[in-house]
Amino acid sequence: MIDVYRALFVGQIQAASQYRVQSILWMLFAVIRPVIFLAAWVAVAGAQGGRVGSYDVRDFAAYYVALSLVANLATSWNSYEFEFEIRMGRLSPKLLRPLHPIHYAVVENIVWKMTTIIPMLVVLGFIAATFDARFRSTPAHLALFVPSVVLGAALAFLAGWVVATTAFWTTRVHAVATLWDRAAFIFAGQIAPLALLPGPLQTIALVLPFGYMLGVPAEILQGAVDVPTAILLIAVQAVWVGIFYALLQVVWRVGVRQYTGVGA
Amino acid sequence: MRYLRLLALFFRTELAYELEYRTNLALELLQMVVIVTTSVAAVLVLFNYTTVLNGWDLGAMLVLLGCFYLVQGFGELVLQPSFEKFMEHVRLGTLDFALLKPASAQFLVTLRHFQVVQLAQMGLGAVVVIAGLPRVSTLGPAEAATFVIALVCGFTLIYALLLALSTFAFWFVRIDNLMAIYWSFLDAGRFPVDIYPGWLRVTLSSAVPIGVAVTVPAQAISGRLDLIGLGLLVVGTIAAFFLASWFWRLGLRSYTGASA
Repeated sequence: MIDVYRALFVGQIQAASQYRVQSILWMLFAVIRPVIFLAAWVAVAGAQGGRVGSYDVRDFAAYYVALSLVANLATSWNSYEFEFEIRMGRLSPKLLRPLHPIHYAVVENIVWKMTTIIPMLVVLGFIAATFDARFRSTPAHLALFVPSVVLGAALAFLAGWVVATTAFWTTRVHAVATLWDRAAFIFAGQIAPLALLPGPLQTIALVLPFGYMLGVPAEILQGAVDVPTAILLIAVQAVWVGIFYALLQVVWRVGVRQYTGVGA
Repeated sequence: MRYLRLLALFFRTELAYELEYRTNLALELLQMVVIVTTSVAAVLVLFNYTTVLNGWDLGAMLVLLGCFYLVQGFGELVLQPSFEKFMEHVRLGTLDFALLKPASAQFLVTLRHFQVVQLAQMGLGAVVVIAGLPRVSTLGPAEAATFVIALVCGFTLIYALLLALSTFAFWFVRIDNLMAIYWSFLDAGRFPVDIYPGWLRVTLSSAVPIGVAVTVPAQAISGRLDLIGLGLLVVGTIAAFFLASWFWRLGLRSYTGASA
């Protein structure tokens, strides 16, 4: 398995090095929306004498910089590609190989994240300076951020695959993916830090998986939650990863029988 | 007149095409409703903590968000599909067919394709504008007139920008990335352009006039746009349109066709 992964890595790195501009662009997409909402919250805080709840202007800046970083590290685009592969029958050759198609996607995601991390940090440094971000994180927060963002990425990846496999039945996964994205828009911490969502929305956000993909790692990196709370949140993340792993096993096994390829 | 007839013809054929896929149409409508609703929810979350955002109250913000979907809907209704096809024509050399037809090539290329379903996005945008209006002002004929003028200017500005950007296809052929940057910048229009920090605000109101295209119509309908502002917008829009058209014709001279 290690050899297989090494081969996949080499292939993917070579492929990625051909599309450098492309990867910079996708990185820009990860940044633009957080910056938009950061500017909006800064304006709200400005109207309220500089604070909203426990956040002041510089905390918002730190939160959204952290969120952009997490969005870049923990987002995967598989559901859109997967629809294409099923519709065009490109999944067929992959199914014939003695390796689960998910491994290609795993490597593709990791390579993409490695190649964009350095330009991403430069851009984020620039944004942090523009908005004068202040992080409250301690070394403990930074240490906890690592498992948290890994779990967040794993969760987003597995959930993305579960959404993508609905294409086995519907062929068009676009509508499902949009609903999923918009739920994430509200509940993952994009429009507001989870702590600032109004009452019922916040409760829903803590029950649903979306916040554990983006908002939770971002809050830990920013230092908005204390260490015991952070550990608890990471435990919940682990539970969600387990749930979606199990779900994917079931959905995939049933779904792949549904798959007919093109012309069948 | 002839051009309006042609436009209606293009529109009808594309409508017929889209009606072939009814389930897909219904799903797209559902997606639009969800997207607009969640965007309104986001604004409501912000206004849960404040009554005013840089001088924009909730009513004015809703009007602005509605304008955002009107402008974005217009872009996706006709500009995005047409310009995508145009770039493909340049790449494949099939632009020849458009150039040979007895009508303005720029018209034939840039207003040829429609995603009719995007009319619904514009409709939803209008609904959001109307929802915000009662909180803003009593709508008089003056506001209505400036709003329509400003909105048409906004559409034209977006058109001119896309036309200028897509002209680069004549030299570089593959410019999907450039266009993708543009579409992602458009998202910034959902908030008034004056909330952004200096460099971003300047970019959004000059080089990429998305901020102007959305913010100014919203100001117009809430009676906050004076005649000087309107005059500047009209003059700027006309200048942008002719400049972009000139640039496009300049680029067209570099077009070599399929096998040249």
